[in-house]
Amino acid sequence: MTAEPDATVESDAAPLGVSARPPRSLTRAFWPVAVTGAVLALVPLWLGDSRLMMGLAVDALVFGAYAVAFNVIFGSTNQLFLCVGALAGVGGYAAAILSDTAGLPMAVGMVLATALAAALGGLLSWVAVRRSLGVIFTGIVTLAFSLSFANLVLGQRELTGGETGLIVSAGEATFLRDRVAAYYLFLAMLVAFLVVFRALQRSHIGWAFRALRDNELAAELAGVDVARYRVYAGLIGSAMLGLTGAVYAHSEGFISPSTFEFGHVDVRVLVMLAFGGLGTLLGPVVGTVVFAVLDEVLIDFEQLRTVFYGLLIIALFLGFKRGAVPAATDFFRVLARRARSRFERTP
Amino acid sequence: MRAVVLDGIVLGLQFGLLGVGMTLVYGLGGVLNLAYGQAAVLAAMVVAITLTAGAPALVAAGAGLLAAAAGGVVLDRTLMLPVYRQRGEHRVLLGLLLTLGVAFVIDGLLLWRYPTGALRLAIGGEAVPILGVRMRVGSLWATGISLAVGAALLLFFRATTLGRAARSVIQDEVGARLVGISPAAVRTFIFALSGALAGLVAVTRSMTSPVSVTAGFDFTILALIVAVVGGLGSVAGAFLAGVLLGIVSTVSAFYIGQYITTIVLLAAAALTIVVRPRGLLGRSP
Repeated sequence: MTAEPDATVESDAAPLGVSARPPRSLTRAFWPVAVTGAVLALVPLWLGDSRLMMGLAVDALVFGAYAVAFNVIFGSTNQLFLCVGALAGVGGYAAAILSDTAGLPMAVGMVLATALAAALGGLLSWVAVRRSLGVIFTGIVTLAFSLSFANLVLGQRELTGGETGLIVSAGEATFLRDRVAAYYLFLAMLVAFLVVFRALQRSHIGWAFRALRDNELAAELAGVDVARYRVYAGLIGSAMLGLTGAVYAHSEGFISPSTFEFGHVDVRVLVMLAFGGLGTLLGPVVGTVVFAVLDEVLIDFEQLRTVFYGLLIIALFLGFKRGAVPAATDFFRVLARRARSRFERTP
Repeated sequence: MRAVVLDGIVLGLQFGLLGVGMTLVYGLGGVLNLAYGQAAVLAAMVVAITLTAGAPALVAAGAGLLAAAAGGVVLDRTLMLPVYRQRGEHRVLLGLLLTLGVAFVIDGLLLWRYPTGALRLAIGGEAVPILGVRMRVGSLWATGISLAVGAALLLFFRATTLGRAARSVIQDEVGARLVGISPAAVRTFIFALSGALAGLVAVTRSMTSPVSVTAGFDFTILALIVAVVGGLGSVAGAFLAGVLLGIVSTVSAFYIGQYITTIVLLAAAALTIVVRPRGLLGRSP
């Protein structure tokens, strides 16, 4: 593709999101995670009496976990995985089938399901890297995987229940079925994922991620094994997705193709993350909270909600590419600088 | 078996036209138009509405194609402008995301206004035997239209100035500019053509099976598969891939089953990307 000579060509840096370096001090690096965990831990005190509201809160956390995983894969290494729902579905269906049909203990089933999702995601990542597929071809291949998985689930009726879905009974009569307990479990997972994300950012892997995201060729020339780090990101993110799907299947007690449908999961995660800020620590959390609230507000406008999301996608990618978290950080930085200069001027 | 293959060709020619609309826009602007299927559905709904209002079928079809083409022009002249300002991968990514948003807006609006909308053009008449297989008149009409339009397209891109200009922009945008071709004008024209093609496929599809208001995403995916297998940017490749995939699709649906067929088509696209990214007839990158 060649640029138009007379058109103003915009900067060559990563098109979406940011790749900022994390703070060096341990407390400064992890306090946002701690605050997030503490604040979200208060939600059941407020909504705990309503089973319905707690169910919605659990769903929101599940999407938060998906978004962190997608942030590892796409936000950190620019691999457009359009199979977030499918990889979570691999985890969910595998966990359900391994425990209910194959009779394995629930925890073993979940571990195997997570490993399976990680292996598939890693494989997709490896293929994309080996064949040096760009963002778009990676997107198309993973989208094909997504839709194939959905059709496989629909077709293998005896194993998966087809369109009607699958009742998952292994988790019955455990704490997983209690909405408040499930909320805390998913919150713990979300916090753990955020800790992993931050730890990755601070490690040598994070350096490699930032280097290859900002300029792949330069990173390669500087000796970064771009291929290996991409596969790492694919493996870690897919494991997160698989685990979330597996725990969700047992906690919800019912999964169906629409639980993990592309149009339901992937698009939403993409918008959430784009809104919060791709590649940022708290972007997924901000996106999660904002969209959980939005969904509640817009609940009466079934189809118009789709229109609204469409407009939001357009607006986000046209004007507001860095996302809410970087914008807010800048805003507060400017405020602080102003306050400081005023303070210094006053005698 | 012969009947299945013939059905596959009927389907495949329409796949081909669908793929051409997608592949042209990608080849020209570097945009994978994810709202492409919505253009088809938009056309189908316009045709259905004008038919109910009492217009003759030909006028209704014309109105549908015009609406879809106009949608393409509006998209190109508004939302795609910032996309063209980007380069390479960023351009493709931004185009993809913006058209995804457009797809949601169109889908949501159509579903909201016409929740049960569907277009079915019933064409009466006795089934006609072709090669010993009795073909429905609707299928024959669909095939005839697809063949005529396909031939016209190939001729257009080989023999007319505008068609050659479009191909030159696909090959080398800077070079085309140097010989006095305006890529922007060509792009607008191709967006209109692409919309009209999507609309046309919606009309021919509705001659054999109903096109519902929710079909947009499926149209888009199908067009994407055909365009990828044929080679992004190649018109003849899209036709070839369309016919091949059409036959594969009906044979597999007949002998194996519907769900597996979808997987086979998707796998064809994924394999093409992994094994031969330039597709059947695409230029080497």
